[in-house]
This record gives sequence, C-alpha cells and structure tokens, in this order.
Amino acid sequence: MFYRESGDFKTSYIQDQQIFPILQDRVFVTVIIAFAFLVVPFLINDYWEKSVLLPVLIWSLAAIGLNILTGYCGQVSLGTGGFMAVGAYASYKFTTAFPELNLFIVVLLSGGVTAMVGILFGLPSLRIKGFYLAVATLASQFFLVWLFNKVPWFYNYSASGQINAPERLIAGIAVTGPNAPPWATYLFCLVFVVVFALVAKNLTRGRFGRSWMAIRDMDIAAEIIGVAPLKAKLSAFSISSFYIGIAGALFFLVYLGAVEPTEAFGIDKSFLVLFMIIIGGLGSILGSFIGAAFMFLMPVLIKNILVNGLGWSPDIVAHLILMIVGGLIMFFLIVEPHGLAQLWRVTKEKLRLWPFPH
Amino acid sequence: MQDTVKEDDILLEVRNISLSFGGVRALENISFDIRKGEVRAIIGPNGAGKSSMLNVINGFYHPQEGEIWFDGKRRHHMKPHQVAKLGIARTFQNIALFKGMSTLDNLMTGRYIKMRANLFSQMVWVGPAQREEVEHRQRVEEIIDFLKIQSIRKTPVGKLPYGMQKRVELGRALAAESKLLLLDEPMAGMNLEEKEDMCRFVLDVNEQFGTTIALIEHDMGVVMDISNRVVVLDYGKKLADGSPDEVRNNEKVIDAYLGVSHD
Ligand SMILES: Nc1ncnc2c1ncn2[C@@H]1O[C@H](COP(=O)(O)OP(=O)(O)OP(=O)(O)O)[C@@H](O)[C@H]1O
Ligand SMILES: [Mg+2]
Repeated sequence: MFYRESGDFKTSYIQDQQIFPILQDRVFVTVIIAFAFLVVPFLINDYWEKSVLLPVLIWSLAAIGLNILTGYCGQVSLGTGGFMAVGAYASYKFTTAFPELNLFIVVLLSGGVTAMVGILFGLPSLRIKGFYLAVATLASQFFLVWLFNKVPWFYNYSASGQINAPERLIAGIAVTGPNAPPWATYLFCLVFVVVFALVAKNLTRGRFGRSWMAIRDMDIAAEIIGVAPLKAKLSAFSISSFYIGIAGALFFLVYLGAVEPTEAFGIDKSFLVLFMIIIGGLGSILGSFIGAAFMFLMPVLIKNILVNGLGWSPDIVAHLILMIVGGLIMFFLIVEPHGLAQLWRVTKEKLRLWPFPH
Repeated sequence: MQDTVKEDDILLEVRNISLSFGGVRALENISFDIRKGEVRAIIGPNGAGKSSMLNVINGFYHPQEGEIWFDGKRRHHMKPHQVAKLGIARTFQNIALFKGMSTLDNLMTGRYIKMRANLFSQMVWVGPAQREEVEHRQRVEEIIDFLKIQSIRKTPVGKLPYGMQKRVELGRALAAESKLLLLDEPMAGMNLEEKEDMCRFVLDVNEQFGTTIALIEHDMGVVMDISNRVVVLDYGKKLADGSPDEVRNNEKVIDAYLGVSHD
C-alpha cells in the first residue's frame, strides 16, 4: 500500500484535525472495523476466542488506560494489576447484588468505581514524581490485592476465596459463564474496545489531552498557561483507571470466568501492561493496540514455533522469551520511546515520499 | 511622576516586596508599577533578582512581605494557574516548551484557559468540542502567521533550533491573549538577526495587540530601543526607575551594572 498525500489536500481545519488525516488510513481502519464486526463473529471458534481475540482486546483496553496516565500525562504507574482487580471485584459485586442489571451497565459502573479508587491512589502524584510515584503505585498494587484476599465481603464469603462469574444474558444470549458462545463474548468486548478507543483518541487530541501532555513535558510551563496540576493529574488518574477497571471487569467476567486475585491481578500484570505501552509506543492509542498484540502474541508465536515445531525444551524457550522482551524494552526505551507505532509512522512517511525521497 | 498617573492607568503594581530563600535575600522591599500598554524593562546584573520578581508576579514564589495589585485589585495568595486566568502570561529564561508536541500543539495548549468544552463533549468530539477546536485553531493560525512560523507548524519543537524555540515560546504566551506578558530574557543567546526579529515581534505585539509587556533583558541597546520605562535591580534592591535616558545616566546604575567604579 502506497501512501499518497498528493490529491488529498486539506481544505479545512476539521479535515486537518481528523484522527486519520490520510485517506488510505481511513479506508484501512474502516475496513478492519467492519471486518471485526461483520466477518469475525462468523469465523470465530473457541481457540481464537480464548487464545487470541479476547486477551488482545482486553489487554489493549488496559494498555490504552495506562497509556493515558503514563504515555500522555507522564505519571508512571505500577498499579495496573491492582486497578484491574478493582474493576473485576466491582463487577462481581454489582452483578451478584443486582442480577437483573444489564451487563454493559455493570462493566461501566465497575469502570466508574475504579476511576474513584484511581483518584484516591493518584493523590500522592501531587507531591511526588517519577521513581517515587512508581513505588507509591506499587504499594497500591500490593494493598489492593491483599484487600481482595483478606476481606470476605469482596468475594461474597465464598469458601474458596475465589470469585466466579455467574451466567448473565444480553438479549437472551449468554455473555458470561460456560455457555456463552465465542462470538457473543467477542462482540461484547469489541464494542467496549472500539467505543473507548475512539473516546480515548478524542480526549487525547483535545483540551484534556493537551493539558496532560503539558504536565508530562514541562509542569511549570503547564501551570503558567493555566493548567491546574491537581486537575490534570487526577483526571488522568481517574480516566486511566476507568479504562483499566473496564479491562479488569471484562478480564474476569468474560475471559477468565473465575478469579483468584494474587494470580490473576499480580504485579506481573502491572509490568506486562507497562511493557505493552513501552514497546507499542508511549503516548499513542494505536501503539497501545500494537503493544498489547505484540506482547501477548509474540510469546505464543515463539512457543509454537520452537516448542511445538522444533521440539525445544519449554524451559529454554520461556527464558528466551524473557530475554527477548527485556532486550526489546531496553531498545525502545533508549532508541525509540515512541515504540512500534513510531516505527510504523516513519515507514509510512517514507512510503509516502517513495520513490523520490527528496 | 507617580502622582501624574491616574490610578486606572496602572495594570500591575508591586509594593514593598521582600523575598528570601533561607539566608539569601533575593528581593528587598521592591516597589514599582507597570502601566497599561507600556513596555517595561527590568534590568540588573546576574543574580539581581529579576527572574525572582517575575516568579513572584506569576505566583511561583510567594514573598514574605509586600502586596501585589493587578487591574486595580489587591491580589492575594495565588497559584500560577490562577494567575494565568487573571490574564498574565510569560516565557522563561530557559526554554520551557512542551517538547513532545508540535509547534501547533504548543500554541493550542497555550489557549487552554480560553477553551471550555467539558469532558463529555470532548469524548464525543463531533459537536461543541470540534467547533471549539476549529475556532481556536483559527486564532492560533493568526499567531503562526504573525510570527512567521508557518513552515514549522507540524514540527516537534524539540527538533527546532534555539532561536525558533524562543519564538514558539513567545507564540505560546501570545496564544493566551493575556493583558500582561512577562518575557524573561527573550533574546538571550540569539544572533543579531534573530534579536532584531524578536525586537520587532515584541514591539508589534505591544502596538498591534495593545498588550502590556514587562521584559528582562541584558542587552542594553535593546532595552534602550524598545522600552518605555526601566527598573534596575541589584542584589535584590531597587537601584533606579525611570525612562531609558534617566536610567542610563544614573550613576548608581553605571557603577553597579557596568561594574566600573565611578570617581
Ligand atoms: N528557588 C530558589 N531557591 C534558592 N535561591 C534562589 C531561588 N531562586 C532564586 N534564588 C536566588 O535568588 C537570587 C536572585 O536570582 P534570580 O534568578 O532572580 O536572578 P536574575 O536577576 O534573574 O539573574 P540572571 O540574570 O542570572 O538570570 C540568586 O541569588 C539566586 O541564587
Ligand atoms: Mg534570571
């Protein structure tokens, strides 16, 4: 696909402010979304649902959430796993307390609860920055997981200490529980991801996004143009947590179905999402998708090739994957903080001018 | 001199400002005023307290003593973002641009206080948020034309040469359409040509938009050329205050500023 800007002149600021200013991009994205909604549901099976599509969709949402906070507003957080747990437990409490409540509303409310918890744990960011803030959010990670393990009210006093997603229907079709068909769980997640990716794009290209980036790039200059650090940071924390809470709720309700907090929402999840946005691209919604897909699928792919294909020992492959991820993280942090999304942009830039680079 | 000026001709007045950091007395009992529509220069040797004075005016530093009056009202303890809403914009001595953003986005961000769209309309975009975005984009484009930075509109500011960055920072301050513009050494480190351009812009802003300007500058030639009145600081104290000619011929100023003993 060649990118051509010629013949695609922008005649108004509205056109210049589009999410995808280049025609080919617009067509491409429209086709992908149409394909995702109209074709994939007919092709999907259990394997694709559980091993590829649901996790990539849900992690993308979590990555967008963390990217809003870290990539756009510059506040490093290691609490993602804990905030996902808040979303999961909130959805569990809502749907068990009000079984008739529509599942869309349950998930949105869970996001809302997580947003409020996010504000609370975001308060230290008004005093501390960078490494120290990361440590503070790490504390919230451990505190939240501990809380959901320790207080029986959160898991409705179940003997196992686990939470289980009860079957819930939307328009007569099961979306949670063992009887939910793959296309239903997939579409349920897809709606959230598409709608909230668009919302994130809108927020980040407007006044809110600019106030976050201003705080990220130069907080004293942000203040002198009238950005209140309190408002900017806490709005980033709450909106970011809203996304992560929704991701946590979906992760529990439609993907895992049963959850034990230490295992499902441990510190490894916080790092996973952080790696996703570093590799995908800090401060990029597209990068959140690329990073989530890459971080989730790359290990699967390598494992398939090396263990199943070439018969390597799984242990060695697991270590190899860790080394690859570590190497990539260092590469992107040092060489290209804007991640794979930026590499894609640069390639496009080159294609656009091709074959006359000057 | 003060007496001949009507009260409502004064945009900003600082009265008996004293500021110290631990043992360092950065400002001692400083008073001066800035009249509507003038270019007011603040000069003095390194460490005199000039930047500290601007930091007091826009709320970064809170003086231990003294009063600040803006637009006829006594201003109480305020944070910088509140001061911005009153109508005071500034640039920094060391460039403080948003380096992850393009020139255009830096200027759009400069209009933050002028924009109103709430969270919900921002999320939906189509409608009020988009209308507002276009409206403000038009104003920003006017500033881009004014500063002749059309060609770097979409360039990330981190990639711009120093002189251009200074110009973009002026643009960002202009974008707020404030009443008072504080410029901390806008021409420092520039070559002659860039300096001349910047002088022109400062004068044009003052004349065309009627913006009141207070600027810190080391280049005496520039100060004499473009300012209406000059206040001289030295070691936190006010040495002199008056027209460029008065200040230039003031013996205390010659001693302190040029560092030559007078005999
Ligand atoms: N935040 C601070 N903490 C401690 N001391 C400070 C602080 N800000 C300024 N000072 C001190 O106050 C004095 C005045 O500094 P200021 O930056 O206002 O000088 P200046 O006139 O702007 O100098 P220059 O021409 O070098 O920019 C200096 O002695 C400086 O060390
Ligand atoms: Mg200074």
